[in-house]
Amino acid sequence: MIVECPLVSIVDDDESVRESLPDLLREFGYSARAFSSAEEFLASDCVGETRCLILDIAMPGMTGPDLQQELTARRQMIPIVFITGQTEDTIRPRSLERGAVECLSKPFSDAALLEALDAAFRERGAI
Amino acid sequence: MNSPNIAVCSSERHIDLLPTRHRRNGGAEDERAARMEIGIAEIGAMVGGLIRQGCPLPVVLTTLCQLFDSSVKGFLSSVLLLDRTGVRVRNAAGPGLPASYVKQLEGRQVRWIEASSGAAIYAETPTIVLDPAGDVPEGAAEAAPAAPAGLRQHAVSPILSLTGEPLGIFAVYQRDSDRDVMRCHCALISKFTQVASAAIERMQKDEALRRSTDLLERTEQLSSTCCFSWRVETDEIGWSKALCQLFELDPAEGPVTLELIADRLHSDDLPSFQEMIERARSGVSDLEFEHRIRLRDHSVRYLRVVAHRVRDSDSRLEYIGVVQDVTQRRHTEDALAKLRAELAQAARVTSLGVLTAAMAHEVSQPLAGIVTNASTCRRMLAVDPPDVEGARETARRTIRDAERASEVIKRLRALFCKKGATSESLDLNEVTREVVALSLSELERNNVVVRTELAEKLPRIQGDRVQLQQVMLNLFLNASDAMRSVDDRPRQVVIRTARDEGNHVRLSVRDTGVGLQPECVDRLFDAFYTTKSSGMGIGLSVSRSIIESHQGRIWATPNDGPGATFAFSIPCTPMEVTGSLGDARNFGSARPSAAVNAGERSVRRLRP
Repeated sequence: MIVECPLVSIVDDDESVRESLPDLLREFGYSARAFSSAEEFLASDCVGETRCLILDIAMPGMTGPDLQQELTARRQMIPIVFITGQTEDTIRPRSLERGAVECLSKPFSDAALLEALDAAFRERGAI
Repeated sequence: MNSPNIAVCSSERHIDLLPTRHRRNGGAEDERAARMEIGIAEIGAMVGGLIRQGCPLPVVLTTLCQLFDSSVKGFLSSVLLLDRTGVRVRNAAGPGLPASYVKQLEGRQVRWIEASSGAAIYAETPTIVLDPAGDVPEGAAEAAPAAPAGLRQHAVSPILSLTGEPLGIFAVYQRDSDRDVMRCHCALISKFTQVASAAIERMQKDEALRRSTDLLERTEQLSSTCCFSWRVETDEIGWSKALCQLFELDPAEGPVTLELIADRLHSDDLPSFQEMIERARSGVSDLEFEHRIRLRDHSVRYLRVVAHRVRDSDSRLEYIGVVQDVTQRRHTEDALAKLRAELAQAARVTSLGVLTAAMAHEVSQPLAGIVTNASTCRRMLAVDPPDVEGARETARRTIRDAERASEVIKRLRALFCKKGATSESLDLNEVTREVVALSLSELERNNVVVRTELAEKLPRIQGDRVQLQQVMLNLFLNASDAMRSVDDRPRQVVIRTARDEGNHVRLSVRDTGVGLQPECVDRLFDAFYTTKSSGMGIGLSVSRSIIESHQGRIWATPNDGPGATFAFSIPCTPMEVTGSLGDARNFGSARPSAAVNAGERSVRRLRP
């Protein structure tokens, strides 16, 4: 029986993240794709397949929240885990308010990420 | 009005004017004059003594008249002192004459004319009547006799300086009651005139000297300047009174010597003082230096010395110079420098707040990579069989990201550590790239698209890396702020480097922000001038002082389209040599390997 690994997409303009996260996600048992911008992700054929989106907040051009809005507008209900290098205390509550599953500050541990993903998939299951 | 004037002849001419009846008795008069010779010498000495005692000129002249009056029976004398121009009676002394008459003479006009009898003084009113009237010019007959009642003028002799300038008039009057008294010998009048001339000239010279000294002292006082002269061969030093006061030296205690000066000097300045002495002895044309002296109360004065080489009459080397007490100016400058440094620090702290977030972001990126890679690595090694190849790759990435994080921190430290200005050979492009890298996330957060156009092969500059980075950072953040309210057009910053005229290099920052009000352009770089609601208005002012300390200039111009362009231009290192490239390798902070190439639309974050 072939078990298809659920796709987790990563959108981050930082190359370190795009390089390292997919390997970790694969170790977790997901398949992973990384995109350097929101525009690139929207233009790809992965939007529909993506079961969870790990999304950077601050990016040149379209930001993370911009993409979130765009997806909502397109009725693409993808659970989102925000990741951010910014330190302001208000970012996380605001993100959660806007419907994100989690907001992780960089750097984050593999355990925290796993927990966020579990929550995302629970949420997805609930939908 | 026709002046009823009578000519006054010179003493030589006077002889000719004497009536012949007097001449017949000349033998006896000559004898008498000879007897007066000793008296005249004594009079000279007496007058000299009065001058030395510092008696005022009118007193001296009055005494002279008294001496004449008591020596020559039946005659009274007066001395009319002329003013500088020789046309007006400045002061009249005539102790034997009625005071009202003498007073009347003061302020009267006197003119020299060339009369038929030779050089003569024309006095307007009152008329000085020469008696006997020999060469009376036409019209003079109408003149009222000016002599006081009971007296008539006997002789009028001009008092001339050695150079022939009119100083005054020596006038002799004969008592009417003593008409039968033999005439006063002309030689005697001539002698008294000479004594008067010597006295007046000497006292006028003394007065001129005193005024000159006075002027010097006042000037010294006004300009906080003192004067000195120094004969290099003999070390003879001439010091003004003010300089003695400044050095707390008593001129009465003996001559000023170099040792005495050195004794007052601040010990730190002794070597440079000695060096200056050596330079002076070698005969340099101009000396200019600053040193400190320590006074008795241990206070320190800053003195600025400027001296010029001259040759004295014996063509010996001499320096004439001035010493200026610049203590006050120094204190002001120090206070100003301190204030500037504080402003610069305040500006740093202001930008620090803005940048802290950006820096945290900058550092958190590689840290995220490190944690993720290390987690992946551990997991790869935990499975059976372990994924050694995958683990090796993630370990490599971990190390790389850690290095990247440490470079960001190094740059941070360089930007914010408090240290004085240093000068090193710099590549403007490289400095620009570093600041772009540091501020990029902050700019991007404000949705600003950054474009850099860095000119190739820019000559190097000499300067303080951190200070210049501060200026750039300030310009970048200002550009970003100026576009905060812009929503109808791209928020774009174009950072450009280029060669500039006159061997300068230029950095310009062009934004598409709200632009400049033309009336504000002049004030932009003033301290505490700001158009922002949150801002102290010190960023550009500090930037200007930094750029000016690099001998450059900074300016702002409105764009043709929206926004403004801020730019600075600083001189390139003179005679750029390849040797300076060695310094370039010791910059210590990270240099970006990729990114920020000319024309790139958006700049990516740096990779190590």
